[in-house]
Amino acid sequence: MASTDLSDPPEPEPPPLAWQVVIADTLTAHGVTVAAYVPDTRLQPILSRLAENGVRLRSLTREEECVGYAAGQRIAGHRPVVLMQSSGLGNALNAIGSLAVPYRLGLPLVVSMRGTLGEANQSQVPIGRATRRLLGTLGIQAFPVRSAATAVEVTAGVLTLAFEAGECAAVILEPELGGGREGN
Amino acid sequence: MKATDVALAIIETYPEALCVSSLGTATSALRAASDDGPHFYLGAAMGSALAAALGVAEAVTDRLVIALLGDGELLMGASTLWSVSACRPGNLIAVVLSDGVYGITGGQQLSAQTRFAAVAEALGGIAGARVRDETTLRTALRELGRPSLIEAELSERAWPGPSPFVDPARVRLAFAANAIRDVGHSGG
Repeated sequence: MASTDLSDPPEPEPPPLAWQVVIADTLTAHGVTVAAYVPDTRLQPILSRLAENGVRLRSLTREEECVGYAAGQRIAGHRPVVLMQSSGLGNALNAIGSLAVPYRLGLPLVVSMRGTLGEANQSQVPIGRATRRLLGTLGIQAFPVRSAATAVEVTAGVLTLAFEAGECAAVILEPELGGGREGN
Repeated sequence: MKATDVALAIIETYPEALCVSSLGTATSALRAASDDGPHFYLGAAMGSALAAALGVAEAVTDRLVIALLGDGELLMGASTLWSVSACRPGNLIAVVLSDGVYGITGGQQLSAQTRFAAVAEALGGIAGARVRDETTLRTALRELGRPSLIEAELSERAWPGPSPFVDPARVRLAFAANAIRDVGHSGG
């Protein structure tokens, strides 16, 4: 059986926006050594910057697996971050609610929003509009970033909650930040 | 071979290994075999134990990490086999308690043949073996290249004993003390 022909070259990555650089550099400055993620357009420049900073990238098969992987890193004393699109939060809830939270593993999450402001895909809307409430129901505080000006403060605060207080906490990348191609 | 025999073979072959057990039978068996040793016992999060073990293995590269998994557990989290194939940590062994049933929920049959060892081999980068007795199991534990996946066929279903409802705070503190003892330089 022939392999799939991937003759189209990958699209070049757009230059990172200021907030994407700031978030990646703040994660690195707080000692993050590994990023577990499922790909997303707006996350990609953050991931590329993290790689430039020497952070190990782990593209895993589903968001629940990212949480499990990060739980293993965290319980062994390391500082992981989990990045996902909001649509993947549904996939991750079991590992968050029955592993990360009860074991107080303090995982920082970076969630790129779909299904809210400007969303054209109906199927993305229900999970998107429920994202913060889903997190809140599990006791996880989520903090929005809408401009580069607040990205450092929010990201650093979430990392302190996670790594110092031992509480899972989330950075919410709101649509106003731009950098996505939600219309595609 | 019972679940506790498999866990005992792991503990006796590698007393210094960091072990991660999936919910239910695997956690009970690891508690019994290790006398409640400082391992990462999962009390729930079905399907996430191999991912957690992969995270531990890539965090503590100078220690052997062994995942003890139910077969229903791995069926639920099977895509992590693809991640293990991609990452290929040389310090990870996955051992599957293969009895073809969901244990803690009452012994219901799995709906399909699992063939995890064959799948792992097909993916590449993982050594697979299916074993039916303790001697072969112990040989596979010692001699297979890593990462490896060993399917241990259980001939007898017997509840190991200790409760699988662990105290997460105690598990975390004991495991962290065990895992971090040699790596004082790794962040807090």
